[in-house]
Amino acid sequence: MKLENEDALNHYIICQQCYTLNEELPIEDGSKACCAECGEILYRYDSKLIDHALSWSITGLIFFALANAFPLVMIDLLGSEQFITIPKTIASLFANGFYIVGFLCLFLIFIFPLMILLINIVLFTLLKTGRGEDLTKELLILLSRITPWSMADIFFISILVALVKLIAFGQIHIGISFWALMAFVLIDLYITKSIRIPEIWMLRKKIFPKEAAA
Amino acid sequence: MIEIDEDKLIRCPVCDAVNIDKGKKNSCRRCGSAIYHHKKFSTEKSWAYLITALIAYIPANLYPMLVTSAFGSREGSTILGGVVLLWEMGSYPVAVIIFIASIMIPISKFLILFYLLISVKYPLGKDKKVNKHKLYYFTEVIGPWSMIDVFVVAILAALIHLSSVEILAGTAATAFAISVFFTLLAAHAFDETLIKENR
Ligand SMILES: [Zn+2]
Ligand SMILES: [Zn+2]
Repeated sequence: MKLENEDALNHYIICQQCYTLNEELPIEDGSKACCAECGEILYRYDSKLIDHALSWSITGLIFFALANAFPLVMIDLLGSEQFITIPKTIASLFANGFYIVGFLCLFLIFIFPLMILLINIVLFTLLKTGRGEDLTKELLILLSRITPWSMADIFFISILVALVKLIAFGQIHIGISFWALMAFVLIDLYITKSIRIPEIWMLRKKIFPKEAAA
Repeated sequence: MIEIDEDKLIRCPVCDAVNIDKGKKNSCRRCGSAIYHHKKFSTEKSWAYLITALIAYIPANLYPMLVTSAFGSREGSTILGGVVLLWEMGSYPVAVIIFIASIMIPISKFLILFYLLISVKYPLGKDKKVNKHKLYYFTEVIGPWSMIDVFVVAILAALIHLSSVEILAGTAATAFAISVFFTLLAAHAFDETLIKENR
């Protein structure tokens, strides 16, 4: 294939799933482009991406805070009421000497999901105001490095599994944080599915076009 | 005007930008990350992580994942034992979930990574019937789900801790968490462009 120069590669995208080279074509607002080979979504176009991303990230942050502040599950165990919160679950691992599992849980279900929300908020605020050319780049790199390690959704499924195992022990009550966590997981899922990192790079290119010349 | 072979185009593992494969040292034109390409040690890092994960998976299956102590009697259950117990109790969906997450996913990840790592070095996997990129993508997607049992143990241990009835995490929880962590590292360390080169 012939190219004008190396920057012309910006108009191509390699499918995440099957590694097929696709040409990037302009698409209608609100629609998505799929891989010619396997049909996997390559990118979307949303003219209000910044505002959508900001509002979803802030909503996500509120639910994340709620999910951590209140009890997740309560149980009547031999007449005494026991409950857990997310921080308490992690702290109890440390208290029992399970440091490795404790650290893993701390990062996978608390620090990384929180960082992703905060990075998104800072990143899209910068893009909205057209500042921080270098910082946005660093944040994007950090974002793609930690995204595979965020496991709030898997933790939520684990709670459901734990509930089934708990039936044998006593009467179970679902706490406020359970619903907040569910809302957070759905928002998080929506953000990662609808706002893909390559799209943010494309957006950044439009906002800071001069770097292409340099 | 430059003429470029389509096979020489690779994807940056960090930002997904399309780059020209320039041989040994590639750095992404968009994000500047090094695109891993070491002619001699292309798969060693991934092998090391995979073997560590495999070693940790052995005690993860032999030691108890969960220790239940009720009114003085203590009883440990291993991963497989826990699945069998759930099945006998009639909790079929949960037994299936744990079986898939703790046994099927780790084992299929080991096998797929072994196959990929061997096939990019030796002609064994030169058949074009299997799309190895899809296989790799599959391991990336399913990998983290094997953490389910570790999280379940953490939840149960935090919730049930009276002096008369108590659930404790077992040695296997640590071994299993280490195993999952290293399989994830092994998958991330795998250089996807090697598949392209050896196609
Ligand atoms: Zn594809
Ligand atoms: Zn890159």
